[in-house]
Amino acid sequence: MTVTSYFLPDSVPEALGLLETHGSSLLVMAGGTVAMPLINEGISLPGVVMGLRRAGLDRIERVGAELRIGATVTLTRLLDQDTVPMLRQAAGRTASWSIRNMGTVGGNLFTPPPGGDVAVALLALDARVTLTGPRGDRTVPLSEFWTGFMTSDLRPDELLTSITVPIEPGATTFVKFGRKHANTPAVVTVAVHLAVQGGTVTGARIALGAAGPHPMRAPGAEAAITGSALEPEAVGEAAAAAARECQAFTDGVASEWYRRRMVGVFVLRALTELAQPAGPAIGGGA
Amino acid sequence: MDKVIVTFELAGRDVDVMVSPMTTLQSVLRNQLGHTAVKDGCRQGGCGSCTVLVDGEPMMSCLLPVEDVAGRSVITLEGITPTDGLHPIQQAFLDANGYQCGYCTPGMIVVAKALLDHNPSPSRDEVVDALSGNVCRCTGYLPIIEAIESAVRAAGQQEARA
Amino acid sequence: MTTELHVVGQSVARSDGVGSVTGRSLFTADRSFPGMLHLKMVRSPVHHALLKGVDLSEAEKVRGFVRALTHADVPHNVYTILGLIGVEPEEEFVLAVDRVRYKGEPIVAILAETEAAAMEAVSKVRLDLEELPAVFDVEEALQPGAPVVTHWGNNTFMFEGHNCRRVRYGDVEQGFAEADHIVEGVYSTSPIEQAPLETTGCIALPEANGRYTVYTNTQALYFSLDNTSIILQVPGNRLHFIGGMVGGGFGGKVDVIVEPLATLGAMKTNRPVRYVYSRSEEMQVSSTRSAWKIRVKDGVTSDGRIIARKVTSYADSGAYSRQTPYALTKHAANAAGPYAIPNVWIDAYCVYTNRTPTSAMRGFGVTMASFAIEVQMDRIAERVGVDPWTIRFLNAYRNGDIKPHRKPAEDATLIETMQAAAVLVGHDLPEAFKAMTSDPRPTQEGGR
Repeated sequence: MTVTSYFLPDSVPEALGLLETHGSSLLVMAGGTVAMPLINEGISLPGVVMGLRRAGLDRIERVGAELRIGATVTLTRLLDQDTVPMLRQAAGRTASWSIRNMGTVGGNLFTPPPGGDVAVALLALDARVTLTGPRGDRTVPLSEFWTGFMTSDLRPDELLTSITVPIEPGATTFVKFGRKHANTPAVVTVAVHLAVQGGTVTGARIALGAAGPHPMRAPGAEAAITGSALEPEAVGEAAAAAARECQAFTDGVASEWYRRRMVGVFVLRALTELAQPAGPAIGGGA
Repeated sequence: MDKVIVTFELAGRDVDVMVSPMTTLQSVLRNQLGHTAVKDGCRQGGCGSCTVLVDGEPMMSCLLPVEDVAGRSVITLEGITPTDGLHPIQQAFLDANGYQCGYCTPGMIVVAKALLDHNPSPSRDEVVDALSGNVCRCTGYLPIIEAIESAVRAAGQQEARA
Repeated sequence: MTTELHVVGQSVARSDGVGSVTGRSLFTADRSFPGMLHLKMVRSPVHHALLKGVDLSEAEKVRGFVRALTHADVPHNVYTILGLIGVEPEEEFVLAVDRVRYKGEPIVAILAETEAAAMEAVSKVRLDLEELPAVFDVEEALQPGAPVVTHWGNNTFMFEGHNCRRVRYGDVEQGFAEADHIVEGVYSTSPIEQAPLETTGCIALPEANGRYTVYTNTQALYFSLDNTSIILQVPGNRLHFIGGMVGGGFGGKVDVIVEPLATLGAMKTNRPVRYVYSRSEEMQVSSTRSAWKIRVKDGVTSDGRIIARKVTSYADSGAYSRQTPYALTKHAANAAGPYAIPNVWIDAYCVYTNRTPTSAMRGFGVTMASFAIEVQMDRIAERVGVDPWTIRFLNAYRNGDIKPHRKPAEDATLIETMQAAAVLVGHDLPEAFKAMTSDPRPTQEGGR
């Protein structure tokens, strides 16, 4: 290995100091589940690396009507909370037990597609990320955080330190379709949050994973379902819109053609699930 | 390049190792400490053959810089095997033929131990979910699942007798 | 006289059971030796190219670099894995000389004090490559003007002077003329990687008595020893190959690839040399099951008897033939299926492309024939208007039937197997099928 120094700072200020000293040559790592495979393979040959496990970013707490998740909270710990049920669902469909014990919520935001399943749920939950730099914190909606494939609004002198999820009433569901039942990269991931009043959808957030260069919302699908009572026609329209507007791609897991079809299938299934005769399952706000 | 010294607890005893920075726990266990039951199937966290317990939680040792386990406790299959005889889970694997080539077996048993420590009577779905990070190319998984279920039953009978 | 049976009928514990559940059994890469060097390979990054030069100057500066092995160091650099059973010509290069034919082809072996140093040195080797057009499809490879993969000028393996394995039995054109239906199908399969959980690897050690001990996880110990002996031009009795635990093989550990170079490294440095594949090498570089394209044309009577079968098969051997010629031979012997067909024509090609060389995997050559034949049988059943059981009972072979490659069928059990399967799934066969056996047919004038 080419690594000359591996830092494990004990605090965010210490971590920021290292970032300032070493600049862009410093590889920042949280759980290691994305970086270490590349280093082990010799694809990534960093000189200096910083791990964030000990930097005090692993608190998860409810503050008022928000769930604040430190960037290095592991995916396993999302399984232990039921404040936001969709995060439990998403974490449970991500990777395997050992990887969930290591992988972090913050790290999941930087996992390239077709990974990043928890990030898709966070997008549908309208989460915000806190980015901390030498001049303090700033907050960015997750929907504006990613700017392209493996690129984001994070500045070179900043660290992503926490993710904030509003706790609000709504009907939510999360579905991940992979070639295996578990521990598998997604063909497509769908996360839905609907605001429902008197049987009518007043607001919709439909997030897609493995259907673009980063987790993306499906605004056409959202418009098609908003104002409806989740009738089959509206649901079908929304599914078709999602399939059209997504940026499906081909990789070793699935072809662009198949992904695009599966976006339609699984948006349909997700919305149909929420349209059950008993009424949409209300979650959140627990 | 400066080496670093890392101290951690292995099978109940403190060990000190001198490593180049970011040497993985897998490499340290296999190459410096003789714990070759920790296997080396992919170095990607994809096969589970390197699984160890860190403070009782299963982790992929191939993705863990050893510095990250300083001051923590690490258990490998060597730490689960008693000096005499076999751990009940090992006996169950033997009796149920829950192995063929033997390469996935250490990882499977380590995860099984963690599972039963967390949840003494898991359902089949919970067993399957716990094993989802461990690949077996030989058995088709069923003998492994059945070995674990029989270990659960045996432990339950032990409990009842105690 | 009665004999007391001590093992037959008993449940016998496997001798390696305790070793497996305790993890005490040593697999190849679990071993280490003082002074052991690590071998990592510089591989072609492209599918097909002229290799104009190799620059080791930067690699040599890496701390821990010990030496490189190039083709010039290999005593007998061109070999064929099946050369031991008379398969010719010698065609595969242990280390590339002036051309690379598949992505991942080995070019230079780097020996270093640590794995990390070896990997770093590999990354610093500069290759001067002039890319050539590449071909990845068997039928394209057989077209005139296709990129030529082999060093002798065409893209087919020659079987005793013919460009394919051939079976000729009866007169298929006559059979097609007499048939009531012609049923055709094209069947394709993809390459499949065996993906054993333990990767391919070995450790070669020089011994004080001038011999070399090689710990290896090969599935074929003597095969590996004999080929190493040929490649290194040393008598077999100077090599001591030790097997033992194999963490899965499935055919993925029968090609002799790592032992010759590790042993050569031990010879050149007088130190133990370890050469173990990474997972990505195991997936990308190590041989796979071949991709196949199988065309079947059958002439069938109105009551469902197959009277003529013509099979044209192409196996994608990749850049080197490895065990694929053997697959073609087995394929040709089985492509008519376990059926009695009086007119058979089989052409089975071993085709070179610029893909990863393909080799052995679980019934290679035959499993793909089964796939094609059995789907074809169901198609015939549909066309003729009978059920899948009927079409098979009607055409099943019997003991004594002469197979298309002129061997009499012995131990034919298709009929009995189908009868047992019908019972298992609760399918009630007609009495005539229940009464059938694989006994030889009554003798006819001239036999069958």
